Amino acid sequence: MDIAVQMSGITMKFPGITANDNVDFEVRRGEVHALVGENGAGKTTLMNILYGLYIPVAGQIKIGGKEQRFQSAIDAIRAGIGMVHQHFMLIPSLSIADNIVLGEEPRQGIVYRRDHAAEKINELCAEYDMKLDPKALVAQVSLGTQQRVEIMKALYRQAEIIILDEPTSVLTPQEIDELGAMLRKLKSMGKTIIIITHKLKEVIDFSDRVTVLRHGKIVSTVKTGETSADEVTNMMVGRSVQLGGHKTDITLGKAVLCVNNVSYHDGRIEKLKDISLTVYAGEILGIAGIDNSGQKELTEIIAGIRKLDQGEITLDGKSIKSVSVSDIKEKGVGFIPQDRQESGLALGMSVKENLMMGYQRKPLYRYKKIFLSKAGMTKEAQEKIENFDIRPDSPDVLARTLSGGNQQKVVVAREISNASRLIVADQPSRGIDIGAIELIHQKLVDARNSGMAVLLISLELDEVMLLSDRIAVIHDGRLMDILDAKEATREQIGLLMAGAKTKGGGGCEKQTK
Amino acid sequence: MKSKQNREPLNWAKYFSPVFIILITLLFTSILIFATGDHPLTAYKFMIVGAFGNSAALISTINKAVPISLAGFAVALSSKAGIFNIGIEGQLIFGAIGSTIAGLFIVGLPAYIHLPVCLVTGMLFGALYALLPAALYVKKGVNLLVIHIMMNSIAGLLLTYVVMGPLMGDNKYVSATNIVQDTAKLPYLITTPNKMTIGVLISIFVACILWFYIHKTVSGYMLRACGDNSIAARFSGIKVKYYQTGALLASGALAGLAGSVEVLGTFQRLYDNFSPGYGFDGIPIAMLASGNPFGILMGAFLFGALRVGSINMQAKAGISSEIVSVIQGVLITLIASQYIIRFASSRIFNRRKKEAQE
Repeated sequence: MDIAVQMSGITMKFPGITANDNVDFEVRRGEVHALVGENGAGKTTLMNILYGLYIPVAGQIKIGGKEQRFQSAIDAIRAGIGMVHQHFMLIPSLSIADNIVLGEEPRQGIVYRRDHAAEKINELCAEYDMKLDPKALVAQVSLGTQQRVEIMKALYRQAEIIILDEPTSVLTPQEIDELGAMLRKLKSMGKTIIIITHKLKEVIDFSDRVTVLRHGKIVSTVKTGETSADEVTNMMVGRSVQLGGHKTDITLGKAVLCVNNVSYHDGRIEKLKDISLTVYAGEILGIAGIDNSGQKELTEIIAGIRKLDQGEITLDGKSIKSVSVSDIKEKGVGFIPQDRQESGLALGMSVKENLMMGYQRKPLYRYKKIFLSKAGMTKEAQEKIENFDIRPDSPDVLARTLSGGNQQKVVVAREISNASRLIVADQPSRGIDIGAIELIHQKLVDARNSGMAVLLISLELDEVMLLSDRIAVIHDGRLMDILDAKEATREQIGLLMAGAKTKGGGGCEKQTK
Repeated sequence: MKSKQNREPLNWAKYFSPVFIILITLLFTSILIFATGDHPLTAYKFMIVGAFGNSAALISTINKAVPISLAGFAVALSSKAGIFNIGIEGQLIFGAIGSTIAGLFIVGLPAYIHLPVCLVTGMLFGALYALLPAALYVKKGVNLLVIHIMMNSIAGLLLTYVVMGPLMGDNKYVSATNIVQDTAKLPYLITTPNKMTIGVLISIFVACILWFYIHKTVSGYMLRACGDNSIAARFSGIKVKYYQTGALLASGALAGLAGSVEVLGTFQRLYDNFSPGYGFDGIPIAMLASGNPFGILMGAFLFGALRVGSINMQAKAGISSEIVSVIQGVLITLIASQYIIRFASSRIFNRRKKEAQE
């Protein structure tokens, strides 16, 4: 068979870690090849090497049988490789056509022929059966369209091999289907496609083969048709995985958190528009939505960090809209913020000190009121370290030295063990290993089982569907609908995520009526 | 076990990097002295003899170290809260003015009341002088660096005005106030072979209090949280602005204390330009010691020795005492790039460790 890409013996080292260890990777011409592995398994590093962004310590790259030594991405592009990064590299204020031709503009003398660019793009669109309006501004189109622009950028540069880094992370389920159709079309035109992902489920339908990476090494390459998503996940982790925790049947308690008609704007941008929802004791209410739909603002308003413009928020029937952050904590609300390094941890302080942050008022941490009780801090920290399997198991190491998963466990341990009424978790499993995700899922479910209310936000629809009892869908700062998790389908949620239909929310007053 | 092995070389590097910095500075200064035609070892010999050669010299060094260390504590306290206080010099001058006024005009009190009153007045003046920048920073987000540098100039000019104008002493030929009352003078610990006041005890006392506050109290813990990650602190419900304002004011008070001790102890009157830049000396010292009060004491001793020793060096070997400014300049440059140095020295230790294991 015709081999498009052959990488053999690739080794790449960064200070302290070996990102790729003697990796052999092969892609056939005209196939869709999924490269999967956990965060930190080395898949993006491998593809950055193929794209000429890194120069490996050892190893050989052959493109179409010809050995290549890329010194930069320019060399890789010349060799017919295109890459669509996870975070798009587009200029929002320029039109789609301008973005596509940027750097390789059709010109006449020194004049940029915009009309020629548009013509060329229309031709390419017709050829590959894609819908793009060359004149539209990038800022005004959806993320799905922006992704098509990125793919078109590669095609415009005559790429034969296209690498897509986590292409599904910004898409709704419907857009993922569209992406699949587009990739099939590209495949039929003879293009070779490599998809980097840690969510095989979403690409299993349209990939031909899968290569699994673990700790920088290749585990195996299998035909997609001969495997299942679960099997691949087990290969990724090296053992069988149980996500989603064990839910027990529990009768729903009374309303703990009521959000009624809340609106909020940040600068001139309206972030939340008339949001209403209720979280009951003993349930996990998941919020599904694409990134930047207002989730972060909503959680920070509930935690008291931002103050809302209009509306009302109550906890156990009492208003908390103008209560301070520390008083809200004292009322039993735990908040796991979106970005652990930015807003969850003080990285230069010890694990022990991080585990008490925000709860230093507690008598347990104090000695004669104003002094720190070292004994209390250490004892509490050791308990949490054990309960949440934080590694290394020392309360005195700096938070900075922990891995992402363990840093997240510190935040989760602190917030869950101190909360008594409500837990607000904003993307608690973002960018961490599966072992840590398993544990955090179990702890959130345990909190629910014990009768706490949990508000879960995740960009990963799978996670929302797996954990939630009810699912609220948010689109562009508006609550689209609240569905029962048992009955909701991916398609239904996907349509709502894309803003297909509007319906009010479920504030307290509305529900009691 | 594994984590311990990983941590050890890093810790070594942490304690070694100040030594590294000082060694590199000495090397650089040696080259410079050599280039000007003198022998660096001669220069250092006279410097060391001048600073530590006999007990009188040693006492001078300690006397110089006192205000520098207090300025260092001031910098350390604010930087623990995540604020860079470069206005120490101005606050120090203002504190000196305050305690001089209290020392001159409050009469009839016994020394054990009058002296503390003077010191506290100095601290209040220092804190007061930090209040305007603090308020502008917290309320309006004004750049502290810029406003502090301007406040330093204002304080310097104000000092000149005060000693030439309203507080001018009886001797019109000296730009200084009269000598403060006896009850306001810092008592001496030793008078022969050189005078040393209780300033050194104040400095050690403040170091202990500061260390205890930062590491052992809940409030100090919150202050460190603000300094390490102000966003995370805010998310935890810690009142970041409150702590940062407080730290800046307390930092101003410590700077004021530095000025008071210098005026009431060393000079017993307020001179124009009495501070050769103690406030600025405090900055590199606090950074060199990463804010550790006892490290600051050592650093201040070193800087005091440089200042005293360089005078001897100039007198005996004819090498300009301006070399001290060079040493300080190099130190600051190296401290600013200390992350690179830390990285390099930790690499060296890691390699050694590996070689030792093999």
